[in-house]
Amino acid sequence: MINHMGRLLFILLLAVPLTGVAAAPEKVLHLALSAAETGFDPVMTSDLNTASIEQQLFESLLTYDYLARPAKLVPRLAADMPTVTDHGRTWVFRLKHGVYFAPDPVFKGAKREVVAQDVIYTLMRFMDPKNRSPYKFLVEGKIIGLDELAAAARRSGHFDYDAKIPGLEALDRYTLRVRLKTTDYNFAHAMAQPMYGIVAREVIEAYAGDTASHPVGTGPYHLVRWVRSSRMVLERNPYFRHETWNFDPGNDPDSQHIAALMRGKTIPQIDRIDIQVIEEPQSAWLSFGKGELDMVGLAGQFAPLALQGDHLRSKYAARGIRLDRISDPSIAYYFINQQDPVLGGMSPEKIALRRAIFMAQNDEEMIRVIHKGQAVRNAYPIPAGVAGADPDYRSVLDYNPELANRLLDQTGYARGPDGYRRMPDGSPLAVRYTSSLSSQDRELDEMMKKALDRLSIRFESEKLKFPDMLRAERQCRVQIRLSAWIADYPDGDNFMQLWYGPHTHENNASCYQDPQWDRLYERTLTLPDSPQRNVLYHQLARMLELKGVTKVSTTHIRNVLSQPWVLGFKAHPILPSVWAYLDIDTARAPRE
Amino acid sequence: MPPNASPGLWTLAWRRLKRDRVGMISLAVVVAYLCMVFLAFGGWIAKDWTREVGVNYAPPVFLPDDQDPTAVALVKPVAQPDQVDLYGLQDPLARQLAQIRAHDPVGAQQPIVARRLTLPLGGDKWGHDVLTKVIKGSETSILVGLVAAILATALGTLMGALAGYFGRWVDDSFNWLYGVFTAIPYLLLIFAIAAVLQQKGVSTIILILGLTGWTGVFRLVRAEYLKHKSREYVLAAGAMGASHARRMFIHILPNTSHVILVQLSQNVVGFIKSEVILSFLGFGVPVDVVSWGSMLNEAQNELILGKWWQLAAAGTAMAILVTAFSLLTDALRDALDPKLKY
Repeated sequence: MINHMGRLLFILLLAVPLTGVAAAPEKVLHLALSAAETGFDPVMTSDLNTASIEQQLFESLLTYDYLARPAKLVPRLAADMPTVTDHGRTWVFRLKHGVYFAPDPVFKGAKREVVAQDVIYTLMRFMDPKNRSPYKFLVEGKIIGLDELAAAARRSGHFDYDAKIPGLEALDRYTLRVRLKTTDYNFAHAMAQPMYGIVAREVIEAYAGDTASHPVGTGPYHLVRWVRSSRMVLERNPYFRHETWNFDPGNDPDSQHIAALMRGKTIPQIDRIDIQVIEEPQSAWLSFGKGELDMVGLAGQFAPLALQGDHLRSKYAARGIRLDRISDPSIAYYFINQQDPVLGGMSPEKIALRRAIFMAQNDEEMIRVIHKGQAVRNAYPIPAGVAGADPDYRSVLDYNPELANRLLDQTGYARGPDGYRRMPDGSPLAVRYTSSLSSQDRELDEMMKKALDRLSIRFESEKLKFPDMLRAERQCRVQIRLSAWIADYPDGDNFMQLWYGPHTHENNASCYQDPQWDRLYERTLTLPDSPQRNVLYHQLARMLELKGVTKVSTTHIRNVLSQPWVLGFKAHPILPSVWAYLDIDTARAPRE
Repeated sequence: MPPNASPGLWTLAWRRLKRDRVGMISLAVVVAYLCMVFLAFGGWIAKDWTREVGVNYAPPVFLPDDQDPTAVALVKPVAQPDQVDLYGLQDPLARQLAQIRAHDPVGAQQPIVARRLTLPLGGDKWGHDVLTKVIKGSETSILVGLVAAILATALGTLMGALAGYFGRWVDDSFNWLYGVFTAIPYLLLIFAIAAVLQQKGVSTIILILGLTGWTGVFRLVRAEYLKHKSREYVLAAGAMGASHARRMFIHILPNTSHVILVQLSQNVVGFIKSEVILSFLGFGVPVDVVSWGSMLNEAQNELILGKWWQLAAAGTAMAILVTAFSLLTDALRDALDPKLKY
């Protein structure tokens, strides 16, 4: 605090005699995170909140264009888009010249430029067993020689960062060649993840063991204050290169309005970003109402307060508050464990049972009552805004309790004397639904109970803490659950891999192992985003429904509210944060 | 009864209680609630609380109509599976579906049950009647309160009797246990036991509350036994050859019954509140059971949306019962106090 006030005074003293008028007021953006950050070493990050800060501190080779929809890859630290040859197996990245890391004592006052070797070091770190990176799956098994290096490190306990591997070569100071084992058109998306922001080896080694609290990157901001799980202050990085705001708005009127306001301004415009951790949505909402927060993500339960239909209520619109409403690149989907002794199996009566359970789920009611209208029915595994999406896809598992009951009657699930159905062999039947302890999940339990009541099937509830639930899911111990997946990168593959047989015990929570499906999926891997691939995706999606593996239920809608003095904001489906592209109208903003 | 016989402890107590108007009114309220619980338990009232009779968040009848048009249920036509493109795949249930269709074409419209726009005390998010929920919820809450209180009081009395009567190492070990239980903050202790039991359900709540709530009873009963064990009537019983158990439970226990009875009713009040807290925090009753606590838990999110009726209904029902029970306890304490002789 003392430091901060002293600095401000210093600026004022300097500014007044020079210009004769008061200094331009500092532009500060006040934000809240909905959950605590986990530390700022990108290699160890897996949560959205931390990634949103790292997006500003570090820079990956590529990123997504701010205004282009659907999300489009553009260079960030790379000077231009990589050259891809050899059927997507060889990638050449050229770095921008004159990009410097933010100042840090490790550099002893010198300016440290980013070179190709830094990129190699950054990529290698993901495979270092010591780092236990949650996002190593984006490079694991892909780069020639890297997995062997990791295997050697597991044996020796020491990762050899000086090793030369054929997959990662610095052709000169600014050029990097990556060679992949197989065709992978999604490698560019991996290089656009905020976790793949470039770090400097001497920083990581100097702060070994405590890298999470010494983020040194090349981004537009650097971290100047950090009170763990409570407050983070970012200030503009003095060494950030000169970049001007020049995004193509296309035909969208909102984007054109933003572009008219922002074009030609230097990035970043905002001097300081003050971030608090506010876990309780109600507190964040009230702070925003008082003008203490400049932007807030609207939690579902408050939607009826702020919104009328798709629009902001007039009392907020009159204050100049703006609403940004986009469909999240995410799906919520029911899955049934295919290895479960009760529900699993491919005999017609087991398939009928699973499809009946899916058909008894009333998605419209869930959207209306639980999500307060802040979700849309989406039956396709690939949501809107992601390559391969199909908004016109029709499900065979839409809500139809009548047909579901007939199907159960037809396949021998007779009702017992207590009114509940039995298995065809007469043994008792109960469905165990797994959910977490949160109050929203209690509402989902009620939904499932109602659905099973419609079928006269006995409902059982299993309550687990979220991490335990994930563990049970990976061990194929969950019977049925409503799960959710949000895009890491905007390509359909990121969603379709959720049912790939070899991903059992990882992301394939339904433990679905079907050679026919797997072969079809493997064929999609060799294809770029194209109509041919979409044909295969439709078959894959339909097969999941016909065999009663999964029912894709809804896609959430993200509502972001911003104060009238926040300029240039447009919600981005993939980028975790876009703060560097914003400006603040200091004439309208409340004074500190 | 001969005219010169002196009235017994209970007759005197009842006479004193009858003179206490507040006590009698409280008694009437409590009895009325118990009747309600009895009727609900037997399935004579509020049996169909799970029926969705109203629209979502139907307001109470006495409120002016401010229904949000988005809240009214929409009925959408259901897609017919045979109209959907299978992308060249074979439906494994094709035969069954064909049979169903041949037998009786699906799509004969189910009669749509009209839902009421208002309900006596309003509706919850699914359109359940809040009035029926309050009645059904009282069954859970009061049963939990009563059974847990009886369990806690029985435990406390037994341990208190053993500790107070035998003294020495028996007393020391029970005191140690008492010390451990009271050293841990109450809610923390409840959560710890809830975490160990790892199960949700009414019986779990009863166990949790019963196993944590015995300490107050224990302390008072132990003190009573310490006082009574050296009284002449107990020594006389001992001299006549009465066993320890007989002295403890036949001779001393009736003389401490006023303490136990008051503790019991205090525990009922406390446990009804604790059940509400537990359910409010999500440790409570399972999804297919309603209690006042689960209603208040649901009300958390509703209140922000201006749907206050579920909170008001459950809160009022609980406030009336708890107040009546507390006043009754007070009246009982006065009535049973052996020092008040008239």
